[in-house]
Formats: sequence, structure tokens, C-alpha cells
Amino acid sequence: MLKVKNIKKSYGKVKAVDGLSFEVKPGEIFGLLGENGAGKTTTFRIIMGLLDADSGEVTLDGKKVDYSMTDYIGFLTEERSLLTKMTVKEQIIYYGILKGMKEKDIINKLDQLLEEFEITDYKDRKIKELSKGNQQKIQFISAIINDPILLILDEPFTGLDPINVEMMKKQIEKLRKNGCRIIFSSHQMDHIERFCEKMVILVKGKVILDGYVKDIKNDYKKKNIFVNGDVTEKDFKDIEGVLNIEKQGEDIVIKIKDNSVTDKIFKVISKKKITKFVEEEPTLNEIFITKVGEASGK
Amino acid sequence: MASKFWFLTNLGLKKKFKTKWFLIANILILLGIVAIVNINTIISFFGGEFEAKNEVVIIDNTNIATDIFKKNMDNTNTLIGENIETDIQISKEKEDKVIKELKDTSKILIVFNSSEEDYLSAKIISEGTIDVMYYQVLMQSLSATKTEIAMTKTNIDKEELAKITQVIKVDRKILDEEIKSEDENMEMIMSTVFPTVILPFFILVIFLIQMIGAEINEEKSTRSMEIIISNVSPKVHFFSKLLSSNIFVMTQGLLLMIYGGIALVVKNLFGVKDASSSITDSIGQIYDALNATGFMDKLYYIVPLTLILMVLTFITYSLIAGIFASMTVNIEDYQQIQTPIMLVLLVGYYLSIMAGMFEGSILIKALSYVPLISALLAPSLFMIGQIGIIDITISIILLLLFNMVLIKYGLRIYKVGILNYSTDKMWKKIFKAAKTKEI
Repeated sequence: MLKVKNIKKSYGKVKAVDGLSFEVKPGEIFGLLGENGAGKTTTFRIIMGLLDADSGEVTLDGKKVDYSMTDYIGFLTEERSLLTKMTVKEQIIYYGILKGMKEKDIINKLDQLLEEFEITDYKDRKIKELSKGNQQKIQFISAIINDPILLILDEPFTGLDPINVEMMKKQIEKLRKNGCRIIFSSHQMDHIERFCEKMVILVKGKVILDGYVKDIKNDYKKKNIFVNGDVTEKDFKDIEGVLNIEKQGEDIVIKIKDNSVTDKIFKVISKKKITKFVEEEPTLNEIFITKVGEASGK
Repeated sequence: MASKFWFLTNLGLKKKFKTKWFLIANILILLGIVAIVNINTIISFFGGEFEAKNEVVIIDNTNIATDIFKKNMDNTNTLIGENIETDIQISKEKEDKVIKELKDTSKILIVFNSSEEDYLSAKIISEGTIDVMYYQVLMQSLSATKTEIAMTKTNIDKEELAKITQVIKVDRKILDEEIKSEDENMEMIMSTVFPTVILPFFILVIFLIQMIGAEINEEKSTRSMEIIISNVSPKVHFFSKLLSSNIFVMTQGLLLMIYGGIALVVKNLFGVKDASSSITDSIGQIYDALNATGFMDKLYYIVPLTLILMVLTFITYSLIAGIFASMTVNIEDYQQIQTPIMLVLLVGYYLSIMAGMFEGSILIKALSYVPLISALLAPSLFMIGQIGIIDITISIILLLLFNMVLIKYGLRIYKVGILNYSTDKMWKKIFKAAKTKEI
């Protein structure tokens, strides 16, 4: 299990990470969310041992993460971390050997992964000649070439089209099934929603929300009701507990404070001719915007 | 971790050697060196007269030295392989009168004397300086003349033999007071130490500084540094980079020497009129030049000491380049920050060229101890006899200590620097990193 225990890191007076703790069990995918500059990359760097935390500790299966452990960790950085003058094969061998692998094993694994990502023709091509999406695939391959027991993915889907996103998701799912612990950061909330069991939202290095995604969504009482039929926005505006009303295509979307407001809305529409009445849970995106907004006073 | 170190080192070497640019650059360097060494032949090929006769006036107070000297001049010319022609005149005039006649001429006056203490001594008097090569021809001919006179005069026993083989004492006078004798030393530095030692070393250090900076910045700007450093410690990364870069420049230095050899072969094949000349003549020529200055006796210890000094200086500059490169974000920033290093190197370079002009200067002697410039300055000062073996040893010890300090504090800076992507408060960050204890 990966245990991050109360880590703190400051740059001068700026607190980059302020008392962050979480655990990731084998086969679990953990989401780390936050605005730009919230402390996600600093957290990743501390986990990888690139930065020393001011206090707190990071352990993997009970051992402090150091250079004896990094051979079993995969790391995909937010920016492309590839030496573009190298060929795909040279690059993967380079990173693979730095992970303590043998060249023969690296090539076998590379052939398999290139096939799965449908880019076998690029093996001897220079990285600078590849498209951004294919470079991202190569970067992902370099992160998982060693079959890691811990995989850190910082914005892994950047620059990928939907088809390639699906390919990568399949690989992540495969790794999860094999017991790999995966930490994941993304600005695209739908990815977090689909993948992660657990998550943390950071604002200026501080945790403002953490727990299982399902619980977070349940605890978040605000909901959206989609109504379509012989009604107008005016019919709902005086109901207590209605936070916002807007038109989305043919539908009226009513944002409500909590479940108690649903009955009041239902009473109004029961007297009208209605073709659609759907109560939807809030999206993670909504929760994120609300929580980050509250925490940063926006 | 050791295997990762060697992997990174090998990879660094492959990246440097296995490129078409390495091959192209070396072909151009080879052609350049061959052209420089054979510049006379190239210029002569397009016409012109470059072989002026040397004029020597002899006052022979021994009555027997002149003929022997004439014969030896011819022999030395043949031995050295240079086509130096000399017109020798014998003067019966008094020395002072002949000296007056030397004014505004390129004539050289040689006065032969003998005494019970010495079979032959000579004065060489000229208006200005004498070409180094020609001076060596004169010196060798004089020594041979002395030996021959001694052998005809005495039955040789051990003591006599020692006297005979003793280097001739020459009282060298330059009449033009504006020209100091250091100018001849200067000429020696410029003609021997400078092209063979200082200039290639200077070029290789510049090359080293730029290569390390470019490599580290490439890894930083592509962010691959984060992946590398997450798998190997900054220490391993730093030292592998240093080792591969130093091996590369030293190999390049060796190649430069080989190219120099090739250039001499070319010169011997196409550059001289005497068909009997060969590469051995050229080597002999260098040997004679060194021997005439008394340098050969010191060669067995000055060569290893200079090499140690140079290797340590390569390491010093690569350490500084690595530390500075780690703190910069891109190659443009690095090019700016490397300016002070280049300036220091340039100071050492110019001081080494001008070393002969500052005979007896305590400052110059002290500067030859200073790390970063000692490898440039010390060999020049040693060649002209201003410093000795002890001084060079002190320079080496100081350089070693300096490198140890650089490694201790530099690694701390490097660890922080390589993951730094901002130039804000850079010097503050450097000093703060240097103070951290953990690396």
C-alpha cells in the first residue's frame, strides 16, 4: 500500500503542500485534483523522491520510497519528458534500463505495447517526427514498461483524441486489475469520475475534500432536475430552495438545494403536461468548481 | 546503481561519438591542421620568394673555430631538414666596430673565444631577435664545434668528456634596448608551447563547457530530467555526465595530436624540396628544438605534471559548467551565465601567451597557482624557467582541493537546480542550496 502521511512542503512563504495524507491500496485508482498551482506536481515529486518534504513521510509497502524502490514505479509527467532526437526504441531502452531492466526484456515488452497501441511502425522513428498524440503514447509506454506496482499519471490524456484515450484507459484498467496502485491527476473530471474510487481536492496545497468518489457525490446535496413540457422558468422561480434555473436546449434545468425541494417542484409540474422529469446527481465538475470556489473565496 | 552510472556514461559517449557531426567536424579539423602546418607550401604553391639568406659575421679569437663551425652549420641544416641558407663572413675588425655595423641590418655577429676553463665560448650579437629555428641551428652547430675542438686538443678522459658534453655558455646580447630578451622566450612560447599545448587545451575547455551546458539544458527543457532523476540520483547523473564529457574531450585532444602527426607526414611528403627528408626528420627537429632549450631534461616530469594539471582543470570546468547549467532553464540562459567562466578562461589564455613579458612578476607566479587558469599559465611559465616543479605541484594540490570543494557544494546546488524551471532569484537559490546539508 502507498501511504502518504501528513506531507508538508513550502517554497519560502508559499505553502505548496500543507498536511496532505492519503492511502492507495493495490488495485486502486486515486485521483488528485486541484487547480493549476494547487500542489499536485509537488506532491508527485515528493512521492517520487525528487523533492524532499519539509515534514511527513511517503512509504510504499511499508518502506520509504527511495532509489531502491523507483525501479518498480512508473511516472508520467504532465509535460512531454522525451528526448526528441532519439528513436522510440532508443528512448524506451534508455528509460527501461534506468528502471533496472534488461535490454532484451525491454524490447519484448516494447513490441507488445506498440502492438496494443497500434504504432508498431514507429519503433525506429525519431520521437520528434511523431504527432503529439503518438508522443504521449510513447511517454505512457515508457512509464509502464517496467510493469510498475505504483503508477503516477500527471494529466495522462493531454493531446489524445477519444480513440487513443480509450486505448490508454484500457491499459490503465489492465494495470489496475494486476494490482498496480495508480495515482491520477486530470483536469478532465469525467476521467476522474470514471476511473477513480478515491480522490482528493487540493486548494493551495491544502486538502478541501477527500474520500470515495461515490460518497462525495452522495454527500453533495445539490442536484439538478431536468424538466421538459408545458412549463416555463417562471413556474419554478418562487419555490424555496431553488438555486438556479436555466434553459439547456428544450429542457429547463433547475438546480436545487437538497432533496426536500424535489417534492415542491413535483407538485408544480403535476398540474401540467410534462414529457420529461429527471433528477440527476451533480457532476464531479460541479462539485470541484463549487468546492474550489468556496475554498478560495471565489 | 553502478550499472546505471555506466549505462548513462556509455550512452553519453555514444551520443557524442556516433553522430555525423562528430565525423564532419573531425574531417574539417584534420584538414585545418594539415593546412596550417603546411601553410608555407600552400602559399609557395601560388608563387613568391620566401627563402631569404641569413648573414653571419664571425670574429674568431681562437683561429680554429670558423672552419669547423662552417662545416657544422651545413651538417646541422641537413640534420634538421630545413633549407636554411647562411652566408658566413669572417671579420678581422674589432668587435666594437663590427657591432656598430650591425645597426639596421639583420646580420648576426658571432664572437669565438677560448680559455683554459672552456674550449670554446661564443657571443651571439644581433640588432633584433633571431628566428627560433635558426637560433637552434646556430646553437647546435656551436656545440658540435666545441666538441670537435676539444677532441682535437685533448686526450679524452672522463672529466674531459664531461666538459666536452657540457652545453655551451652563450652570452646573448641584443643591442636594440627596446627589445628585451624575454621576447625570444615569448617567441619560444608562441612557437612551441602555445600551438601544441595551450591553444588545443583552451579550445577543448570551451568545447567542454558548451557541451555539458547543452546536454543538461536539453534534458531540462524536454523535462526528461524528471524521469532520469526519478530513477538515478543527481550524483550519479552528474558524475556520469562529467565522465563522458571529459572522456570525449580528452579523446578529441588525442585525435588533435594524431592530426598533427598526419600534418607532419603530409609536410614531409609534399612540403620540402629535399627528397631524403622524412617524418623522422620532423620528429628530430622537434627533439632538437626542445634539446636546444634544455627542455628535454625536464620532460620526464613536466609532461605528467602538465597532464595531471590539465585533467584536473577539465574536471574543474566541467563541474562549474554542470552546476551553472543545472540552474538555467534553457540554453540561451546558459550562454549568458557561462560568460564569466569564459572570461576567466580567456584571462588565463592571454596570461599564458604574455607570460614571458612579465619575468620576475610575483603576481604572475601567484596566478599560476590559481585553479581555472593554472593549467594554462603554469606550462608557459615553466618553459621559460619562471616556475619550477614545486610550483606546479602546489598548483595541482590547490586544484585538487578546489575540485573537492566544488563537488561538495556543487552537488547540493545541482540537486536543487536540475528541477528548477525558473530564473527568479537564481543566485539566492544557488546559495540556499549550497547551504543545505543533505544531498
